[in-house]
Amino acid sequence: MGPDILHHPLNRADGSATLSSNLYSVLAAVNGPVEVQRRDELPEEAAVEVNIRPASGVGGPRERWLETVVAAVLRSLLLVHMHPRTLIQITLQITKAPSLTLKGAARDVAVLPSLINAAFLALADGGLPLRNTVAAVLLAVASTGEVREEPSEKELAGCKSVHGLAYDNHGDLLLSESAGSFDLVEWERIADQAEKACRAVMAPLNEDGVVTEGSTSSLPWLRQELTDKAQAAIAWREAT
Amino acid sequence: MAATMVLLPGEEIPTDLLPKSKKGTLTLGPGLHHTPPSTISATTPGTLQVDHRKAALWLEHAGGRYQPSVGDLVIAQIHHSSVETYSCALTPHTSFALLGQLAFEGVSKKTRPQLKAGDVVYARVSKASKWEDVEIECFNSATGKAEGMGPLKGGMLFDVRPAFARRLMIGTDKEGISKGGVVVLEEVGEKVKFEVAVGRNGRVWVDSGSVRETVLIGQLLRRADEEGWGVEAQRKAVKKALRDV
Repeated sequence: MGPDILHHPLNRADGSATLSSNLYSVLAAVNGPVEVQRRDELPEEAAVEVNIRPASGVGGPRERWLETVVAAVLRSLLLVHMHPRTLIQITLQITKAPSLTLKGAARDVAVLPSLINAAFLALADGGLPLRNTVAAVLLAVASTGEVREEPSEKELAGCKSVHGLAYDNHGDLLLSESAGSFDLVEWERIADQAEKACRAVMAPLNEDGVVTEGSTSSLPWLRQELTDKAQAAIAWREAT
Repeated sequence: MAATMVLLPGEEIPTDLLPKSKKGTLTLGPGLHHTPPSTISATTPGTLQVDHRKAALWLEHAGGRYQPSVGDLVIAQIHHSSVETYSCALTPHTSFALLGQLAFEGVSKKTRPQLKAGDVVYARVSKASKWEDVEIECFNSATGKAEGMGPLKGGMLFDVRPAFARRLMIGTDKEGISKGGVVVLEEVGEKVKFEVAVGRNGRVWVDSGSVRETVLIGQLLRRADEEGWGVEAQRKAVKKALRDV
């Protein structure tokens, strides 16, 4: 099953979304294109600014690092040249984090897929020009070598390595962050599985608007959500 | 089926869905991006709409900030005045649109309107480019006529979503039925006298006999937008609200 999604929870932001998976909840808000400060202005493209706020306390070096990673993904996702000399501002507020204390890099990697997915939904809601559809997935390798998609808190705590990967609808890798011990053969296996999972969430729906591709375990939740939203937006057109 | 085809960002439009025009040219609207030589892909999730007569296609999308385009009627707020132009805000936090001091109907240097910061004008976008400042004007520069545009005095401004403003502006068909599915203004108009101006940038200006009625109309519009009322729900809400007046 996909995460819980709420579209446009914030009335005054240009685009917003909340995304709650089993581990994290993220509230994303997008404003743009807006006027940019002179020092951030780029002559040929829009500046992308990402602000991440943790569930408690104030942001520190960890949030700054997450911001750079998320901004790099979003910059390659947005058609920045369509709004030169402007700013696209993305604010991501983590509203729920696992109660258990994950250590070090695993903790940083685990939150990335939720951040990317929430940011993408908010950008889509705000109607900003996007090059591609993107989906991110979190994978954990158990000590037995078994790879788990969207692991539970317990699996995450006892795993050997965690991997956050994001693929777009053309199968290009946009994000690859890993933590823990693993070798290259293992990573390739993980990347394959991640690509399958990412493409499954945006797989085409069949005639009834439900699942196709029975081979994959996960539903195409991303496409379903965006399709439902687009159809709700033209309900007035059908009614008249 | 083409009417309900939903595209996600980055997906290409199947070539068999493209309208065929006599001139061999297509008009692309919002949400679509042309990659030479002949790929047209979506840049936002939305439903594909095709106008075969005009060989135009666009994506219908409900959200987002207003992007100025030439010919749009907007409600602009004066921010400050300079020698030749007024700087006006169309949407918050974007660079100002320029309104010429003489871009009004029948004015000369001596009779030009004296607008102060915060004043509101109904104007048309005359120039919109991603490289330059947006320009607006309060008269049709081809004919010199105001065509309903100009300073808006009194009244109140209400913010709605740009997509809702567009629905308000679509107008009515031959039988007088609203094509945008919004009947709030028509329904209220049967009981209460008021003036209204709708800006494509998601602003509605309302003026009526009393502040109470003005606020009531504005609130009805905002709630119709935010709560997504259908035609019947709108009628009901208007009836209920007018009972209290």
